Formats: sequence, C-alpha cells, structure tokens
Amino acid sequence: MCARCFDIDRRALLAGGGLLAASLTTGVAEARVRPADMTPLIGPGFKPTDADELGLWQQMHRVEEEISGSNLLIKDPAVTAYLQQLIGKVGGPAAKDMRIYLARIPDFNAIMFPTGFTVIFSGLLLRMRNEAQLAGVIAHESGHFLRRHMIRMWRDMKRKSDLFAIGSMVAGVAGAGAGVNTGQLTQLAQLGTILSLFRYNRVMEAEADAMGARLLAENGYPAAEMANTWEQLIGEMTKSARYRRKRRDRGYSLFATHPAPESRMADLRVSAAEVTVAGRAYDTGRDRYLSAIRDIRPMLLDDQVKLNDPGASQYVIETLARDGWNGLLRFHEAEVWRLRNRPGDDLRAAQGYAVAVAFPDAPADAWRWHGVSLLKQGRTNEGRSALTRYLAMKPAAPDAPFIQQMIVAGR
Amino acid sequence: MRHQGIALALALGVSLSACVQTRQYADVEFTPPSGDYRLLVMRPDVTVTSLRTGGMAEPRADWTETARANIIAALKDQQAGRGGKALVLERRSGLTGVSEETVADLERLHSAVGNSIALHKYSGARLPTKRGRGLEYTLGEDAVALGRKTGFDYALFLRAEDNVASTGRIALQVLGVAGCAIGFCAPSGGSSQFAYASLVDLKTGEVVWFNVLKTGSQLPGVSFGDIRTNQGAATMVERLVGRMKPGRLVRARERR
Repeated sequence: MCARCFDIDRRALLAGGGLLAASLTTGVAEARVRPADMTPLIGPGFKPTDADELGLWQQMHRVEEEISGSNLLIKDPAVTAYLQQLIGKVGGPAAKDMRIYLARIPDFNAIMFPTGFTVIFSGLLLRMRNEAQLAGVIAHESGHFLRRHMIRMWRDMKRKSDLFAIGSMVAGVAGAGAGVNTGQLTQLAQLGTILSLFRYNRVMEAEADAMGARLLAENGYPAAEMANTWEQLIGEMTKSARYRRKRRDRGYSLFATHPAPESRMADLRVSAAEVTVAGRAYDTGRDRYLSAIRDIRPMLLDDQVKLNDPGASQYVIETLARDGWNGLLRFHEAEVWRLRNRPGDDLRAAQGYAVAVAFPDAPADAWRWHGVSLLKQGRTNEGRSALTRYLAMKPAAPDAPFIQQMIVAGR
Repeated sequence: MRHQGIALALALGVSLSACVQTRQYADVEFTPPSGDYRLLVMRPDVTVTSLRTGGMAEPRADWTETARANIIAALKDQQAGRGGKALVLERRSGLTGVSEETVADLERLHSAVGNSIALHKYSGARLPTKRGRGLEYTLGEDAVALGRKTGFDYALFLRAEDNVASTGRIALQVLGVAGCAIGFCAPSGGSSQFAYASLVDLKTGEVVWFNVLKTGSQLPGVSFGDIRTNQGAATMVERLVGRMKPGRLVRARERR
C-alpha cells in the first residue's frame, strides 16, 4: 500500500509466463475511478469486529510498536506535529484516528498500514513544492485506510488462493482420472491468479488517488497539485535513468502493482477538474510548508545529494528552484557537480559555490567549499576570507583545526 | 516484525517432514542452568494463525491471546520444576528500573544476532572458521549491563507459531491423499508449528544455547499439539526448552 512500490519480483514472474504476458494487455488501460464515487467506508473511531481483521490489527500493533520506536524516525517535534496536524486535516472521517511517522529514508515513498498509521519517507518531504502536494500524498494514503483496502485485498487474496487450490486439485484429480497431465494448465491458472491480484492492487491505487483528490479539494487545496507531483516524479525518473544511460522503467508492465505514473497523472488531472468548484479559492500553502520543514531541509538535500544519483538530484533541485533559487539550493546544486566529478565539474562546482554565497541564506558549508575552491585556483586572499567566514558561522565545526591550518598555509 | 525475519529463515532452513523436529546448538562450554538461578524471559512472541484452504496463514487475535497466556503459564511451570526463579516479561515496560527503550533495544539486537544464527547454523550458509565450535555469538555489553542492573543470570528469547488447518484445508489434504488412489498424489501441508528459543548468559552476554522446533504433517487431521490448549502449550515448551544439552566440551569431559 505504498505510493510507489515498482519492484515486485517482476522478472521472476515474467520468466514463468512470458508468452501469456505478451498476449495479454489488460489492466493497462483501466477506467478512471471517479472522486464522486469515493465515499469513505469507515467512520470516526473505527474498530474491527471480524476475526480476520482483528488478527490483522493485532499483528499491526506490534509492527507499529516497532516502527514508532525505530531510530530511523525523524523526531523533530515541530515537523512531526505539523504532519500530524496535516493528516488531521485531510484524513476525512478517520482524521483524528490516524498516526503519522516520518522516516529518514531519502526516497519518494509513503506507506499506509491497515490499522491507520502511515510512514512518510523523508525523501518525499524533500520533493514536495508546497503543502498541497504533501497533503495530496497524505490524502492518498488516508484513502487506503478510509476505503479499507488492506482487509479487502487480504480477503480477495484469500478467496483467489482458495479457489485456485480447489481448482487445481479438482483439475488434477479429474485429469488423472482421464489420463491427462494438467500440470501446465495449472501453472497458467496460477499465473492468472497472480495477475488478478496485481490488478486488484492497481484498482485500489486508483481509488486512493480519486479519494485523495476529493479530500484535497474539500479542504481547500488545489487538487491539480497531485497530478503535478506525478509530473515531477516522471521527470525525475527520466533524468535519473538518462544520466545512467538507461531507459526509465515505464511501469507499463502487466505486473506493475501500481498504475503507470503517466496514466495516474492523466487521471488525476481529470479528477482534479471534477472536484474543483468554480469560484472557490484554493491555496497551495507554500509558505506554511517551507517554514514547517525549514530546520530539516538542509538534511533532506544532503541525504539526496549523497545518494550519488546526479541525474535525479539535479532534477529535484531544479524543480524546487522553479519557485525561486536560494543559497541552500545553489549550494547543493554545486555539491551534485563536485561529487559527480566529471571533467569540468570542479570548475562548475566552484562557480556554484560562488553563486551560493551571494545569497543571504547561504549555509556555512557553502563558504567552506567556496574558500577551498578559491585556494585551489590560487586566489589565496579571497579563499582565506571565505574560510574565515565559514569558521565564524560554524565555530564548533569538526574540521575547524584543519581549516585553521588551511587559512595559515594559504593552500 | 523483526522476529518474523528469523522465523522465515529458520522455517526454510529446517526441512519439512511429517514429524517433530528440534535442532539445538550450544556454546562448547555450556552447562544447562540448574539449582538456584534467576531467568528473565523476554516478552514471548506468540502467533496463532488459521491455515486457509489455499495455503494462506490468517492471524487470529483471540487464538493468539489464549496461546500467549498458555505459553507463559507453561514456561513458569517448567522453570519452577527446574528450581530456577523465572520472571516472564509480558510487556516491555515490565522490568522495574529498566526503560522500555532499553528492553526494546536488546530485543532488536537479539533479532540481528538471531538472524545471523539462523543464517549460519540453520540455513546452510556455514562458516568454515566456526566449524565444530558450537555457538559463538554474543549480545555484548548491553546484555551484561542488563544482568548487572537486574540481577538476572540468564535471558530467554522465545517465539512460537502455530498454524491451525481450517476445515477447508483439511478437506483439501484429504482430497490430495485420496487422489493417490487414481495416480494424482498431491499431499499438502496441514497444521504446523514453529518455535525457537535462545538463551543468553547475562554474565558474559553470550548466546549460550539456541533451539528450533518444527512440527508438521501432510496427513490430514494429524497434529502435534495445539498451543491454544494448556496441554499443547506445555508440550511445546517441554520440546523447546525441556531438554537442554550441555556443550560439546562439557559432554566430552563427562564421558571421560
């Protein structure tokens, strides 16, 4: 139930059913789910009563205990309170029941668990340009809970695996009676079962998208931002793949658990238009968002840059800069070049640091690298003063004695 | 959640057959605790599932609660019989003077070490340098610190699973065996159990003893105990921790 889990063992499945996979193309062009049809299936304070759901919840309590105590979580009280308040706003009838955790994982993802707690990856916060985009993802995840997707999926899997077991047993016994080997037929049936499980999953993602768009618009956010999020993701995947001289995984596969990003984006545009009420004012909440993540944004950028995925990092930074460049973004742009280290990148990075320090919000590290670059170019005095500036901004820097030495030596 | 990782690795490692299987490893110098020792049983991780017709294991909350209570009661009885004083933690906060976080950290550390034991002792990825050297794993200083603080001599980590075949699954098993008569033999697994226990010496921090129990049968209706009952839980506890074998060197000395 995550926002984008592309990598189910597709290759293994393909190996088993290549021919069939090639001949079937269902599931790629599915009908869009209309936001108007998406009514929440649970109310406030929902508690399970059926045996299977009770069992699922009991296990998930242990999972939540483990996750809530994980040292991967970012526990900044201001940021977590902000996220909790946001899910309390766009979470529909279950808004007050859901819990939200922020994990420090530099990846674009979010997961909703069956008991109504969700884990947001820090890489997601980095990529969101405004509150509406983040609220869109949270509303999508809430949609999974409100539409009871996990238990519905569990029951669907149970039903299909039961039917398959009975079917293959009956076929086997009947086949043996008639002297036919039904082994291959059974394998095909198994593939069919697996395929329909994936399809069910895609339908649910589409439902969550529609539900999310509706929750977003109802709470005064422009629902079109959900489609923009996908546009950004597609752009990033393309850039990342191109840098590595690969083609982007297009997610058209029959086995994709989620609809292709393109079709999700297209559907979301239509849905957004549907839920938008003419004359009503919608607010992206960009300022609110930026002030909420201000303290952790340098860390988010740093984590992304250190992934050593220059194509993606550069795209992410450029996307954020569409709302205006600043010292922080310019510094990390230069960092991408420095770490990429292709011919000419040192010069590019040096120029980047020089641009970064011209902004009033340039981080201390921008001055550090600006100084180091200047020393390398033989501009000793300028370099010294930049490094002095770094030490003034960050007197307790772990590398302070080293920098001190550079200032003295001038190289 | 983490325990399931070990469980999965172990379940794959110990081969499936229609019987009760245990396989234990011990530190070469291990002597089973006896006399007046104090044992801390970390929160037992118990899960009872219902095996559906198609093979999916569906967790059942009520069964799990009953079984957990049974296992805890059986453990207390069993330890009392050996002369030790055992405290069974029913939740992480159950240890006075020790924070929930400390207990959680030790559980996580044990999960990591347990995964390693599962991989190198049970899943076939044997380490040539560890050959014939028994169990050589430790939880280190954290475990020693806990022992010093609480006065316990040993800590026991335990996980128990029982997968109870539903009526539909039993019918499928019957059909699979009946098919043999006409040349289509397709026996499928029925009720099965899986458990492991890990004993840590809190004076040294070392994992001194580790045991895995697996029961299961492909014959319909055959079960090797049901931990939802008092008797079944007692049987499982006895099979799992009832017969601790001393370490190799200790046994060698005894023979001499």
